[in-house]
Amino acid sequence: MVSRWQAELAAAAITAGLGLTVMIGSLEYGVAWRAAGPQAGTFPFLMGLLVLIGSAGTAVQATLARRDLAMPVLDREQARRVVSFVGPIVLFVAGSLWLGLYVSGALYLTLVMWLQGGYRPLVSLATGIASAVFFYLVLELAFQVPLLKGPLEAAIGLY
Amino acid sequence: MENFTSLMHGFGVALSTYHIALMMVGVLLGILVGVLPGLGAPNGVSLLLPLTFTMDPVAAIILLTSMYWGALFGGSTTSILFNIPGEPSSVATTFDGYPMAKQGKAAEALTLAFLSAGFGALVGVILITVLSTWVANFALRFSSPEYFAVYFLAFASFVGLGGASPFKTLVAMGLGFACASVGMDTISGALRLTFGFNELLAGVSFLIAVIGLFGIGELMLTMEEGLRFEGIRARISPRDVFATMARMPRYWVALLRSSAIGCWMGITPGGPTAASFMSYGIAKRLSRRKEAFGQGEPEGVVAPETADHAAGSSAILPMLALGVPGSATAAVMMGGLMIWGLNPGPMLFVERPDFVWGLIASMYLGNIVAVVVVLATIPLFASILRIPFSIIGPLIVVVCFIGAYTVAGRPFDLWLALVFGFAGYMFKKLDYPIAPLVLAMVLGDKAEDAFRQSMIMSKGSFSIFWSNALVGSLVTLGLVLMFWPLIGAALRRVLPGRSPAAAPGRS
Repeated sequence: MVSRWQAELAAAAITAGLGLTVMIGSLEYGVAWRAAGPQAGTFPFLMGLLVLIGSAGTAVQATLARRDLAMPVLDREQARRVVSFVGPIVLFVAGSLWLGLYVSGALYLTLVMWLQGGYRPLVSLATGIASAVFFYLVLELAFQVPLLKGPLEAAIGLY
Repeated sequence: MENFTSLMHGFGVALSTYHIALMMVGVLLGILVGVLPGLGAPNGVSLLLPLTFTMDPVAAIILLTSMYWGALFGGSTTSILFNIPGEPSSVATTFDGYPMAKQGKAAEALTLAFLSAGFGALVGVILITVLSTWVANFALRFSSPEYFAVYFLAFASFVGLGGASPFKTLVAMGLGFACASVGMDTISGALRLTFGFNELLAGVSFLIAVIGLFGIGELMLTMEEGLRFEGIRARISPRDVFATMARMPRYWVALLRSSAIGCWMGITPGGPTAASFMSYGIAKRLSRRKEAFGQGEPEGVVAPETADHAAGSSAILPMLALGVPGSATAAVMMGGLMIWGLNPGPMLFVERPDFVWGLIASMYLGNIVAVVVVLATIPLFASILRIPFSIIGPLIVVVCFIGAYTVAGRPFDLWLALVFGFAGYMFKKLDYPIAPLVLAMVLGDKAEDAFRQSMIMSKGSFSIFWSNALVGSLVTLGLVLMFWPLIGAALRRVLPGRSPAAAPGRS
């Protein structure tokens, strides 16, 4: 399994990459001094540099304490639980871009309750639909905030 | 007593049936949010904020602050009944609250927690009432270098005193500032850091970041740990409440000391979490019954709860008077003020006194309403946690993404919230602090403007940060705080034989 030390290094590498990206992106707008003050890229450039320094410091600190950080960050069971939680969420987000948030949310609730929660399909479906209707009433009618809609809402003329 | 007159005027603004009703709604929503794992005060306020864009600012801020009080109370409830802190700041309450509940004193523990929390909050609000005008008047003399120095001080104290690794705090802070600078630059009009993506033109909203980091990230961690609710049933009868109330004066030392710790940590950006741990640690160290702590000692509930709420409410003071929030939730609220077109800081006291004093008055009322509501409804909310997590978890997920969409109505934000969710999980897993990131995102533009204006004033020389006594001492204090871990270590080497500084015990 991945040890805490390896996870720390991986995280530091990601943040260092982000810091570098910010620095390179800021160079486009100039980081020099002009008559009108510092150029637009200066502040983000410095912040990118800060992230880079922080990442390097974290990596060094983690490596110095390597012996204490040998335990795994996740055991197999925990990893399985996280993946089975996040997987459906990714599908839900992808689905809402296509079907809208109401339909995708109802489907997500139904399927997770049915397949992972062990509820009967009918109970799951009822809960999914009921919550979508509830969100519609609260958001669209009470607060008049429109949500992302898809083909189903268009078909029944809900706008 | 100029403040007193203003406060009375504020009560005139805040005391209306509509506002009291909003307080009840806010507190109830807040308790719900505080009780549910994965939804905390910062996240709850972020989810509710887009729904208030069309409301009157006074009504909106009353709703949001009431939600904040409710969330703080809800967090302590789960700590006591389920040994699961609903909020990070109520972790210290589990140490003695849960043992008390296990011994069958759940009602006493809950009442004690709520009453001392109410006391702490009240002290915090009184502090705001007394100090806010003074701080705001003082801050009226500030110009750009002073503002930058105050922001610097806030972030430096995160780095030096935050408890997390200073390097990790730097990373979180830098990333927050970088996120804040995405999109249109307010001074030059340049479109920065968009890397050609049209979706990034409007910038990255801090609300999306909070929903992802605190909501989705927290839920992932909760799932990973395999959530089990083994709750203790509690019924609170009015008799228990009055009996506990009669015993409250016995804890006056703990109440006053914890309020002082809480107010200090709330005004400086230490935040409620650090305050509650510190207060618990000190209470344990000074107690004559040290062994009783952790076994169900009432003072072990009183101390962290008082400090938690004192810090939670006094965190509003620097936000209102200086424009520097003292906690993540205060940062979100400050972002909300800016969206409503109000500019937190000393000028707010001059331009919108009814708003400021209405808010402060509503904090008195809101806390009283919160204590009453929470005592009346707690059995109901405790029963929510008996609903299996396979229903609650996905529902919270859906609520978070709906909230993310309502911020600006952009589908792209859904992906962004997911990315921030992964980041939040990684941050929590590896002990990166999240509050500096949120603070940096909210303060980003202001801090950058202050920095650039100072540089323009000085024609590019850093000496402007030492150009007068005020800005010089702020910056120097910031530097000392930032390098405090190094300075502290050096001092210990120079002064051998002394016991190490009284650092708060995280026992």
